[in-house]
Amino acid sequence: MHLLDIKNLTIELPTENGVIRAVDKVNLSLKEGEVHALVGESGSGKSLIAKAIVGVLNKRWRVTADRMHWQGVDLMRLPPEKRRKLVSQDIAMIYQEPSRSLDPTAKVFEQVSESIPEESLSGNFLVRRQLRKKRVKALLHKVGIRDDKRVADSYPHELSEGICQKVMIAMAIARNPKLLIADEPTTALESTTRAQVFRLLKSLNQLKNMSVLMISHELEEITTWSHAMHVLYCGQMVEAGPTEKVFNAPLHPYTQALVKSLPDYAQGLAHKESFYALKGTIPPLQHLPIGCRLGPRCPQAQKQCVVTPKQKKSHGHTFACHFPLLKEDKKCNPS
Amino acid sequence: MREYLFRRLSLLLFMLLTLTAFTFSLNYLFPGDVLTNLSGQVNSSYAQSQALADKYLLEENIIVQYGAFLGRIVEGDWGYSLSSGQPVFEHILLLFPATIELCIYALVVAIVFGIPSGVIAAVFHKRWPDKVINSLTLMGFSIPIFWLALLLIMVFCLGLGLFPMSGRIGLLYEIEPYSHFILVDIISQGFPYGGLAFIDALKHLALPTIVLAMYPTTVLIRFTRDSMLNVLEQNYIKTARAKGLNRRQLILHHALRNALLPVIKQIGLQFSTLLTLAMITEVIFSWPGVGRWLIESIYQRDYPAIQGGLLAVSVFVIFANMFAEFSHTVLNPISRNQAHGKI
Repeated sequence: MHLLDIKNLTIELPTENGVIRAVDKVNLSLKEGEVHALVGESGSGKSLIAKAIVGVLNKRWRVTADRMHWQGVDLMRLPPEKRRKLVSQDIAMIYQEPSRSLDPTAKVFEQVSESIPEESLSGNFLVRRQLRKKRVKALLHKVGIRDDKRVADSYPHELSEGICQKVMIAMAIARNPKLLIADEPTTALESTTRAQVFRLLKSLNQLKNMSVLMISHELEEITTWSHAMHVLYCGQMVEAGPTEKVFNAPLHPYTQALVKSLPDYAQGLAHKESFYALKGTIPPLQHLPIGCRLGPRCPQAQKQCVVTPKQKKSHGHTFACHFPLLKEDKKCNPS
Repeated sequence: MREYLFRRLSLLLFMLLTLTAFTFSLNYLFPGDVLTNLSGQVNSSYAQSQALADKYLLEENIIVQYGAFLGRIVEGDWGYSLSSGQPVFEHILLLFPATIELCIYALVVAIVFGIPSGVIAAVFHKRWPDKVINSLTLMGFSIPIFWLALLLIMVFCLGLGLFPMSGRIGLLYEIEPYSHFILVDIISQGFPYGGLAFIDALKHLALPTIVLAMYPTTVLIRFTRDSMLNVLEQNYIKTARAKGLNRRQLILHHALRNALLPVIKQIGLQFSTLLTLAMITEVIFSWPGVGRWLIESIYQRDYPAIQGGLLAVSVFVIFANMFAEFSHTVLNPISRNQAHGKI
């Protein structure tokens, strides 16, 4: 059974000049133990999707979906309080700015121990206190913080971003969630810590069978260990499927451009050589083109592209394009 | 922390020096004779003038005079009031506690009503409690307090006869001034009709306190509400919510603490406005405090009294600000490690 199954998720922002559709009919499904990557440029609505799943989106946004099932329960139909309970039990989220996601006036110990569910502790008040202390220590050790005493006794502003992110992960795994949503967890970190965090998430996935929904633009890092990949452009899901297929044989021009834009160091780069990129820039949300939103920038675009392409599926590989890059043998008489 | 305290106190010292320099300059800036302004002696004979000039070192240069002035301030010799002939310092000692008492009660009322209302308004943002609190606040904020005071007097004193109109306590009771805080005095003295006197004093306090509390309450409500709304938008609140805390835990453990920190600073800043408003309130309710005395002194051109009153009030405001700043630093872990003091 699918752990998470989302169909036609649409996120809109009503403004004075009409409704802005920031995320347009996105489908996403995730099985237990899988790592999915959600990639796309900044502003493509990746974070919005994550926040909509967890339900921490601002009230300004209007979220609609045909279904948003979590283990068979439709989250959209649950009353908010119930939904919060269910989500907090099974889904954890880490954010891109760890130091701003921690309460500046509370010590790390307090914040980590808060996320340990009360039900999991037994015994009277004093025993619980001891248990809590032990659990916090164990959690901090698990995420690779060695001097747990100092860290637990610090305020977030006294710690580095990397340690803050580790604390965030410790808080996230305190409830043994089934799904961890990581919203660009490494943007604020330097490369050694970045590698550590990735390794940590990878091991959590492998050892605890925890599913991970990874939002990232570290394309290279993510392709090595994610099972599936979803590519977003301007709030539209352009392509989704098993990572290998999407990465090696992209069907959508945008995915192709994305893969091409990665510098290939094996080939050797000329001095100050420019990277491959699509012409133009990502349009602002209030001036989105009609039809396929990639249209104006797409090298393959034709007249038909003013109509939004339907999502087509073949062998678990979904794409939304009128002119996919199919490597078919050319027939003599195309019908 | 110790270094921070040291920096703060040195800043305080400089502020006080500047303040005394200003006060001293008033002796020369006020119309009239410098010697009269300094000493408060009018129509003194030649011999007396000579003695006074010697005492105030008028022959020396201005720096030496200022030094002597500082010395006299510290000793408590603040000159004599022109109108009463009594030492200014004694007046202040007698009257200032009444003002402080009124201000403290008003501030307590403001905090007790203002902060919870602000929090409620923020928690029920854009729903009816917020709207009710907001419109009431706007009303309270816009009413000039002298008008409010007159309205209250009209309704509660003249109309309903519930509260007395002026003064600190009824004529029936004679309370020996001891600490000059009237409620404390009544309790500490074991006065035979202590209970009745206490109630009477409370009745006298009620209207001035309400009037004086109106402005700081509304300011605190607005400030707490804004600060709370701001905090509720922060990322760490979203994290905490995703962590599975319920609304009550969220607000009590995370939102409130962060939202109240700037409010503490605001309370300190309110003190100067509060003292200004206290002067108006004291005049209307004939409250025997330093504000009314100061305004009367201004009418009577009682220069030594004006000087002394200004100095006392400003020193008090500076200390109150400093105290608020300091408690903010103690409570806020982020600013706790900052060594540099700022104003």
